[in-house]
Amino acid sequence: MSISKKRKRQRMEEFIGTAYSIAIYAILYIPVLVMMMFSFNNQRYNYYWNGFTTQWYTKLFSNSALIESLWYSVVIAVLATIISVTIGTIGALGLKKYEFRGKKFINEMLYIPIIVPEIVMAVALLVIFIKVGFALGMGSILIGHCTFCIPYAVVTIKGRISGDGYSLEEASMDLGANRIQTFINVTLPSIMPGVMSAAFLSFTLSIDDVVMSNMLAGAKNSTLPVLILSMNKSGVTPDVNALTTIMILIIVIAMILNNLIKNTLKKRKKTEETI
Amino acid sequence: MKKNKFKQNTLPALAMAGPVSLWMILFVTLPMLYIIYISFMSRGIFGDVVYEFSLDSYKTLLDSTYFKVIVKSMKAAFITTLLCILIGYPFAYYIAKQPKEVASKLIMLVMIPFWTNSLMRLNSWLLLFQTSGPVNNFLQNAGFIDSPISFVYTDGLVMIGMITNMLPFAVLPMYSSIEKLSKSLLEASADLGASRSTTFFNITLPLTFPGIFSSIILVFIPSLGIYTVTDMLGGGKVLYIGNIIKNQFGAIRNWPLGAALSVLLIVITGLLIFIYTRFAKIEDMEVV
Amino acid sequence: MKKLISMLLALILITGLLTGCGGTNTGPVENGKAEPSTELNIYMWQQYISDDLIAKFEEENNAKVNLSYMSDNADAITKLTAGGGQEYDLIMTCDAYMESLIDGGYIEKINFENIPNASNINESYWTAKEYCVPYLMNYIYVVYNKDTCPIEINGYNDLIDPALKGQIATIDGARNLFPIALIALGYDPNSTNESEIAEAYEWLVKYNENVVAYGNAEQNLTNGTASVAFTYDGNASWAMSELGDKNNLVIADFESDPVQLGFDLYVVPKGAKHVDLAEKFLNYITDPQVMAANLVEYPYSCPNDAAVEAASDAYKNDPARDFDYKENVFFQKDVGEAITIYNDYYQKLKVGE
Repeated sequence: MSISKKRKRQRMEEFIGTAYSIAIYAILYIPVLVMMMFSFNNQRYNYYWNGFTTQWYTKLFSNSALIESLWYSVVIAVLATIISVTIGTIGALGLKKYEFRGKKFINEMLYIPIIVPEIVMAVALLVIFIKVGFALGMGSILIGHCTFCIPYAVVTIKGRISGDGYSLEEASMDLGANRIQTFINVTLPSIMPGVMSAAFLSFTLSIDDVVMSNMLAGAKNSTLPVLILSMNKSGVTPDVNALTTIMILIIVIAMILNNLIKNTLKKRKKTEETI
Repeated sequence: MKKNKFKQNTLPALAMAGPVSLWMILFVTLPMLYIIYISFMSRGIFGDVVYEFSLDSYKTLLDSTYFKVIVKSMKAAFITTLLCILIGYPFAYYIAKQPKEVASKLIMLVMIPFWTNSLMRLNSWLLLFQTSGPVNNFLQNAGFIDSPISFVYTDGLVMIGMITNMLPFAVLPMYSSIEKLSKSLLEASADLGASRSTTFFNITLPLTFPGIFSSIILVFIPSLGIYTVTDMLGGGKVLYIGNIIKNQFGAIRNWPLGAALSVLLIVITGLLIFIYTRFAKIEDMEVV
Repeated sequence: MKKLISMLLALILITGLLTGCGGTNTGPVENGKAEPSTELNIYMWQQYISDDLIAKFEEENNAKVNLSYMSDNADAITKLTAGGGQEYDLIMTCDAYMESLIDGGYIEKINFENIPNASNINESYWTAKEYCVPYLMNYIYVVYNKDTCPIEINGYNDLIDPALKGQIATIDGARNLFPIALIALGYDPNSTNESEIAEAYEWLVKYNENVVAYGNAEQNLTNGTASVAFTYDGNASWAMSELGDKNNLVIADFESDPVQLGFDLYVVPKGAKHVDLAEKFLNYITDPQVMAANLVEYPYSCPNDAAVEAASDAYKNDPARDFDYKENVFFQKDVGEAITIYNDYYQKLKVGE
């Protein structure tokens, strides 16, 4: 095939790929855009569009309960992600590499939180916590979240490391690095996409979780999804939409800033190098 | 010398596999033992668990209603999984082809909608497609239809909801597996004269199969238990196994039956995974 | 071996830490000398009580009120059955569950000597007097859009008219749906007779064909998806006020069929830690002026006669409560063992063919 034909074909493929991905992102983001739009809805509940207003944003800032619960959810999600990804990553690696008695059992246990409907695990954990006198609150919710995040993290990372040999690691240790150095400088970077996927998955699972957070909650604080779920009976008010919109704006701005900073640093490095 | 080597391996093994094992035993095995235990207990008149041995819950499972529900749920979960894999694989492939910097941002973009509340996202579909909503208005104004179509509370909308809910769980594992593909391998295959489809089916697909397998697990199994999507987008007209189990611990207050249903679900799913891994000859059936 | 012991010790330490940060106890000390509580934990419905009311109570009693919200009646029951009742001082439940809760020993008797205002509550709306304080009540009736609904509705049997196919938005729940079927067939809405319940199931199969969605009834009524709604009067009130001038919703004028009247009540779970503050709160919300102010924000039906008297005119003239057959009501009674029959048929109904 001549070069120009090949290039043309490549470009066509890139175009199709990009168009396909944009279509997928569109489907994922349409509900989000609708939500953001309805934060300006002049109606007490999200029944239908009834005119434009910004009252919900002003109302949001006087409604500390919503913001408190958002903060509560984020803290739990961050902690849950850190714990789950750590335990999940080293667990996935360890379970792959080493043989020990009960390994099969642990493997099967890892499936359970994925198979069993959350309400069952939540109720069982609740009963156990109450029986041993473990106080309900952030700790209990955190444990509940990690319990289903860890298997998800393990499965994700497994998809990444499956079939990997140990040649790189062995080479590293032959060259004198100890286990920890090998882990940080050789193993971890090579599985980083898997770890990153696991982290995003865990964070997402935790921040949108309703069932565990509902059952294992203490009397003092609710997570945001639980708060929203309890609004479902009477109707969700658009100040929740306003909160969501602000959240998304913050994330987008953070990403843009992150990009800008990285680019400026790169440019500075380049100019330093040329000097 | 021998003792040294033994110690050499025990410590790292314990450090790596220890925490996850401990966590699973404490927070999964123990609760599941409780669940299995109460599945053999009786239901008190007040909906509590009376600790008298009884096989009533399991006998109830023999009722045809439960069989129908399980079949229905499996059908729906199967279709969802199939569509998620088919739609998600090219998408994951596209992202994996991008440079690492761009790829990680693209992945994050996939997840961001899921940091907003899922109930509200589902409601957004309703708002879009309701009879007085923008879609119907547009179709009517453009002259395509005369009177509004009832899109809401249909199977089609439920499927859209399920797919949009489950897509990241399909895309993420497949992405991390595809990303691993060595470019040189693909180039070598092309150099040796293989056509693109040959390369894809003989090299790419088999090597990324662990990712696909993970995706199937992470989509099919939760799809069995999910009920929020059918409740909101389906109008709550059909109950799936997730609803039924939830109700046992909720309005119906029959904990032993809920426990028995969960045990049944585990057995069925375990069987499916077993058959599947045997058939697909996955090298290790375990999660890791 | 050493490693194992050190790991176990670490685990115990961590558990201890986590248990510690689970929450502080600010209740009466257990040594006979009762100090007044400074915290009150309530578990109830969201958007069901005025924030101003809570704020004033907190001020007057120098206390903090922690509100947690349920999404479903079942939430409270599940927590109570699991033994988590003592987490809260007041839980909201409905009258249908009272017998189970009392017989199961999940709730405490209330000391009404500390709640003089409770005398304002209408006796006929108060079952299980010693264990609860009614808060608000709701009629469950039929509302429809007089412009888009093809027929006139005068009784439950009109709801299975084929002309209403895909037109009904309804609330869910076995104990809400089966009673209307039983009444339509001429039976007792709290029947325990299996053959009657089976007939009711057949009636509901036809009803189900007319249903477009369970739940979000007033949303579907106002946005045009449905023309008929079987829902709570409080939700109908929202729908009517939302539509404002464009309100074309009317309450179905039933000729003889009774409608269900349900109550949301406060109960004190066993093991509640701040009972003194709970009693003060109950006395507070049964005060006619306080409840009347609450009704301005949340215009639901109320069993507190004195409060209804003191309520605003807008409340008294609420179109959602403007119907003649308020005396023709039935209550949800505990059906004992028969609940499993109801549940089986309800599941059969929803699983379908």
